[in-house]
Amino acid sequence: MFSEHAGPTAQGLLAPPSAEPPTFPRVPVQGYSDCSQPFQLGERSFSRQYAHIYAVRLAGMRPGLEQRARSRWGNDIALRKLSELQAGEKCCVVGTLFKAMQLQPSILQEISEEHNLVPQPPLPKYIQPSDELILEDELQRIKLEGAIDVQRLVTGTILAVYGSEQDDGRFLVEDHCFADLPPPLPWNGPSSDRFVLLASGLGLGSVSGEALLSTQLLVDVVTGQLGAEGEQSCAAHIARVILAGNLLSQNTQSRDTINKAKYLTKKTQAASVEAVKMLDEILLQLCTSVPVDVMPGEFDPTNYTLPQQPLHRCMLPLASAYATLRLVTNPYQANLDGVRFLGTSGQNISDIFKYSSMDDYLEILEWTLQAGHISPTAPDTLGCYPFYKSDPFILTECPHVYFCGNAPQFQSKLLQGKEGQRVLLVTVPDFSATQTACLINLRDLTCQPITFSSFGADSED
Amino acid sequence: MADELYLENIDEFVTDQNRIVTYKWLSFTLGVHVNQAKQMLYDYVERRRKENSGAQLHVTYLVAGNLLQNGHVCHKVAVVREDKLEAMKSKLSTIASVHVYSIQKALLKDSSPLYNTDYDIVKTNLQHCSKFSAISCAAAVPRAPPDAPRAPASAQGPQSQRDPDNASAVNGHGPPAAKPPPQQHRGIMGMFAAKAASKGQDTPKEAKAEAKEAPSVSAASSKPPTKNSIMNNFFGKAAMNKLKASSVPEQPKEEKEVVKPSVAAAEPESSPNTVAEKPGKKTESSRIQQKDKKSKTKRADRSDDEEEGDPENVKKKRKRIKQLQSDSSDEEDVPPSPTPEEERAPSPLPVPALKTELEPASTEVPAGGRKRKRKRVLKSKMFIDEEEGCM
Repeated sequence: MFSEHAGPTAQGLLAPPSAEPPTFPRVPVQGYSDCSQPFQLGERSFSRQYAHIYAVRLAGMRPGLEQRARSRWGNDIALRKLSELQAGEKCCVVGTLFKAMQLQPSILQEISEEHNLVPQPPLPKYIQPSDELILEDELQRIKLEGAIDVQRLVTGTILAVYGSEQDDGRFLVEDHCFADLPPPLPWNGPSSDRFVLLASGLGLGSVSGEALLSTQLLVDVVTGQLGAEGEQSCAAHIARVILAGNLLSQNTQSRDTINKAKYLTKKTQAASVEAVKMLDEILLQLCTSVPVDVMPGEFDPTNYTLPQQPLHRCMLPLASAYATLRLVTNPYQANLDGVRFLGTSGQNISDIFKYSSMDDYLEILEWTLQAGHISPTAPDTLGCYPFYKSDPFILTECPHVYFCGNAPQFQSKLLQGKEGQRVLLVTVPDFSATQTACLINLRDLTCQPITFSSFGADSED
Repeated sequence: MADELYLENIDEFVTDQNRIVTYKWLSFTLGVHVNQAKQMLYDYVERRRKENSGAQLHVTYLVAGNLLQNGHVCHKVAVVREDKLEAMKSKLSTIASVHVYSIQKALLKDSSPLYNTDYDIVKTNLQHCSKFSAISCAAAVPRAPPDAPRAPASAQGPQSQRDPDNASAVNGHGPPAAKPPPQQHRGIMGMFAAKAASKGQDTPKEAKAEAKEAPSVSAASSKPPTKNSIMNNFFGKAAMNKLKASSVPEQPKEEKEVVKPSVAAAEPESSPNTVAEKPGKKTESSRIQQKDKKSKTKRADRSDDEEEGDPENVKKKRKRIKQLQSDSSDEEDVPPSPTPEEERAPSPLPVPALKTELEPASTEVPAGGRKRKRKRVLKSKMFIDEEEGCM
């Protein structure tokens, strides 16, 4: 546990000044390598159709799924393509799922003048009992029914179904399986306590200032200003800080200025300008003391489609002068001290949340790992770059720490896989709402939340 | 003793200045380690409370420890008022640290004043915000400039941080796109600033100062000093006119004596900006021309007079001219003396025209020589006058 050794010196600073106080060196950076090259786009060209992603996704995941199917339902099952189906024959088909949802927002419906529809307001969930599942492969599609949970699944998942085709042309599913956890990575973790701080949703630029002191307390704990000697020495074991998205608050996204006339908005400054300046100062304080990885999120000034590219260094002139600042992509993958981290800023999980009956972010996170794909709903309901060569969101190796940012609450779980995989699943809470960040101990893959609070006019606690 | 000094300091901050003294604020203000600052605050509170005059003090504490919440052991870090301290401590299963966070006279309703105090002091100390921290990071070094080839502003940022010279810091933090216009102004104004700065100093000092100002003002300039000869030509023509017009009251002797260093200073000043060259050259050349003019007149003066104060010399020169003006025999000086001042205004206009036409040094002589011829005539007249009578 963090600062479990801090007990003895806890009250040490309630004393007159003593001799020269100790300064603790930060644990050195060891074995860091950035593995998010697949998520870094160079020249971006949007001239391609999105159908290619599905084609490469299916082609990339088909071999693994066929192997899974064989191991699950026997080696002698018949693996058929949809075009080869025969009525009544029990076989296994591998394909992409498509969920036809009535409430799914469609731009064509919105602009259709025949219907005279008012644009649909955003709903928390778009699922309805009348949704249907359709399985597609390279050439055909077929409706699914049977032992398959329609509400739970989302579009874009690659799965294998076992059943038979009925006379009415639908496929009766008896069983289905996903790609399951990818093959494990060897474990090279450190032998002594090494912490990584995960925080997301700093939400700078918001109107409320309550979270500001908590943010400052977070920075102070990490940089070793706060706390007694014991805690400071424990804080020196924080090897890295990862900020998982939404550094800016949603309030900075105000689009009013786009609709207003130019003469009304001439002297106004975008709210994000002030917020980025604040972010720069906070990052500078952090960077002078600890390596920081900054991932962009939904409200940050970078591109909208996944994979989000790193924030540009010109926005952070003070902090980017330091080599300890790393501006990274979303999703982000890296080796820290022999431990493989993989995580997103939460857009993928919250999108699945909207189109599935699953409510728990941790459950969804685990499900994506089981499905073998970080973000199956891209590009259907989540913006995505039109990949055509390979789908970088397919999980090929099992990370040791798999996280998502901007979750409503903190949750963590250590998942054990059949092939010896050990994954720590962490949902990092939104800091501006919960004032909670996560401390992950790399030695034993445990996670502890760290909460900051101050006193307000209505202080309880 | 230094030990007791901090008590007085804190006393002054809290009671006299009515500040909110947080440990971080005290650490930066007194320049001590954060832990020492926390201990100092505690010591102050204890002593004041013992003296029983601590009724005016309100203290906030920082408490950190483990707490069982929602099924997991959560590490909680909280800033609490003194009255809630024990309640918070009892809630925590293990206490990791307790220390004084801040002292203030007034009872705080919420924690935003604490945040503001810390924010302000960190803002003023951004460049060394981790100086007094308990953790030092060896990896936190500014990037070397080759790592940031496309961001010269940020590369110069860390360099300028180390550079105590304010001018280069200003230069370094400015965005590259905005460099030419401010440097343009710096080029012209810099010369006048250089002039004003060099006023009243000795020649060697001024030469050094100007030499320093040259690299400091044009930190980013990399123009090779091959323009010296060309600049000299232009300086010869228009410098005198422009200089007299602009800095009439400031005509120190050093100006004429350090024509070369000022040329060197002026040249790199205006060199980073090709756009500013012409006006820069204009002003520089006018100034140098004027210097030459002055120098020649002053040389004459010197030959006439013994060495006196430089501004006095100038004034005396003027006086002399005025006297010459009053003297009918030297009426030829009269038109030259006001007219040079008037000429200076129009002279920059014909001078650039002359400049553009006449590049090499030799041509400078006939262009400026016009006036010089007059001056020579003046001088000769003055000589004659001197020979005839005493001046």
